[in-house]
Amino acid sequence: MFVPFAIFSGIDAEDGMTGSVKRFSHAVKGRLYMTFFSVNTLSAGYGRKRILEDISFSLDRGCLLGILGANGSGKTTLLKALCSLLPHEGSCILEGTALEKCSPRQMARLCGYIPQRSGIALDISALDVVLMGFHSHLGLLERPTAAMKAQACRTLAAVGLAGKEGDNYQTLSEGQKQLCILARTLCTGSRLLFLDEPESALDFGHRHRMLELLLDWMRETHGAAVVSLHDPFLALNYCHRLLILSEGRILGCISPKTDSPKQMEALLARIYGQVSLVSCRKRDGGRRLVMLKEDASSPAALN
Amino acid sequence: MNIMKNSMTSSTATTKKTRAQTISHRTQALCALCAGLLAALAVLSLFTGKYPLSLGKLLEGNALQRRIFLNLRVSRTIVGVAGGFVLGVSGFVYQTLFRNPLASPDIIGVSSGASAGAAAGILLFSGQTAGTGQAAAATQSAIAAQTAVAVCAFGGALSAVAVVLALSALDRTGKNSSIVLAGIAVHALAQTALMCLKLTADPERELASIEFWIMGSLSGISIHSLGGNLLLCLFCLTSLFLLHRHIIILSGEEGEVRMLGVSVGKLRLLVLVTATLAVSAVISLTGLISFIGLLAPHGARLFTRDNRPGAMLLGGLMGGILLLGADILARSVTSVELPVSIFTSLLGAPFLIILIVRKGKV
Repeated sequence: MFVPFAIFSGIDAEDGMTGSVKRFSHAVKGRLYMTFFSVNTLSAGYGRKRILEDISFSLDRGCLLGILGANGSGKTTLLKALCSLLPHEGSCILEGTALEKCSPRQMARLCGYIPQRSGIALDISALDVVLMGFHSHLGLLERPTAAMKAQACRTLAAVGLAGKEGDNYQTLSEGQKQLCILARTLCTGSRLLFLDEPESALDFGHRHRMLELLLDWMRETHGAAVVSLHDPFLALNYCHRLLILSEGRILGCISPKTDSPKQMEALLARIYGQVSLVSCRKRDGGRRLVMLKEDASSPAALN
Repeated sequence: MNIMKNSMTSSTATTKKTRAQTISHRTQALCALCAGLLAALAVLSLFTGKYPLSLGKLLEGNALQRRIFLNLRVSRTIVGVAGGFVLGVSGFVYQTLFRNPLASPDIIGVSSGASAGAAAGILLFSGQTAGTGQAAAATQSAIAAQTAVAVCAFGGALSAVAVVLALSALDRTGKNSSIVLAGIAVHALAQTALMCLKLTADPERELASIEFWIMGSLSGISIHSLGGNLLLCLFCLTSLFLLHRHIIILSGEEGEVRMLGVSVGKLRLLVLVTATLAVSAVISLTGLISFIGLLAPHGARLFTRDNRPGAMLLGGLMGGILLLGADILARSVTSVELPVSIFTSLLGAPFLIILIVRKGKV
């Protein structure tokens, strides 16, 4: 695969674990150097309405964590709370740095966020959209350098938008817009990505490509990503772990590679109704898990 | 299959690249065209007015012609060009920042604050000019009164905006909409203050000059009172062009923008205050000028379909053309000088309709 991310391994080094470690170590005593990102007893909501209750999990480098849940189960709220866009109780700690205490600039260097739908409503070129990703590395009056532009073009090519640099972002299709925003986020140089249904507007091929890209990026930068997904095939076959979210609480955690199908079916059934998992083989021999919806009244579902 | 795909992508790549280049070429060509038109209008403006000037007599050194040229026409033309440019550029900034095609300085109370300030200034200072006997002293004090009114209008505009921003800061979510709502509230309050001031005004002289101020005019602006405002405009415009990248980013969704590393609140405050200072510097001299801040940026966007600094520049140039053109009409259509806003609206409305119709077609 294409390797567009090498340039960023250098940028990461400057604001590592020094300093901030001492201040926040009380919250994660003992686990500080073991986990990359940890979320402790997080609760959040809008106004007085509580959406999320007591969410805790942790994430290692190189882990792609999927969040599965029905509509309205709190996936978007969780992602917003994780990147401190939503006030919340509890703490999110990335390598000893509490994300709640970060300035926007620090935050942007540490983690990237892709909303379900980007709010860009101006006529600007796709390249300019991607260049926004470098904002946290530029001073008030600095402009993106030639190296940044080259990097942006390479990243655009890597997500499959080669030659679209000069195109008006508004004339791109929804899927292309999402790929463009992915390119922008990959350019921020952050080590942890939060993606809110990044696959929702993509076609079959691009869905797989997006997740392959994410895995490549993680291999390259030793980063991690939290992705909310609706497509169980992608979730079961690309993610290393899956959080099952229902009504703002974590019902359980799935490791698709190691857990037994029965275990997974039981958990998935709690959000999707009766389902069965089928293991298939690709032509090259690789195993793939496929989820089928069972009719609730059929006798097969009762087993 | 693969080869076909590759050749397809490469061919689209080349066509797209040329398209991007044509966009920037078109912006450049439009900017050059508008700059030329603006220069031509500026020359026309220098030689239009009640007293006919001719280039020959000016060069001969006719003292009266020279005085009129330097004291009246030059300052008027400068205000027309600079004022229109400022209104066009700041309109571009407001529309981008508030993600609202109808946003203008009114939205955060600039113009209503300035009107109330100017009315207060007229009531406080214009009375003093009446009693003076000698002609020289009278013009001197008229200029002083005019400056005082301009300072009051400037102060009114800035205090209205300060109140709006302070009110919106009370809403801790820091959303754009809270600024707009606070702007509407302050606008209403300033209008009330203006009405009260009008009630107390002497209907013969003061009320008339308040009304005339609100309709806007480029007449009678002395070149000596221009320097400070021009410097302020220059400084603010330079800053806005330097901050262009940030203005574009700020047009995005709050959360998304924050996650790109932007301190949304602070940056928005900086851009708003800069644009507002420039607008206040202009309308404190000219009075309210309608439509240009709305129209010029729309024109620039529709012609270029772009938001690069070139489009912002084009917005400014179009603003200059509109204001200068309206001002030339204002002093040449009838023997009496008319308020410039009549003509900015008269030129502006059909222009806007043409733009919309064209946009629908293409």
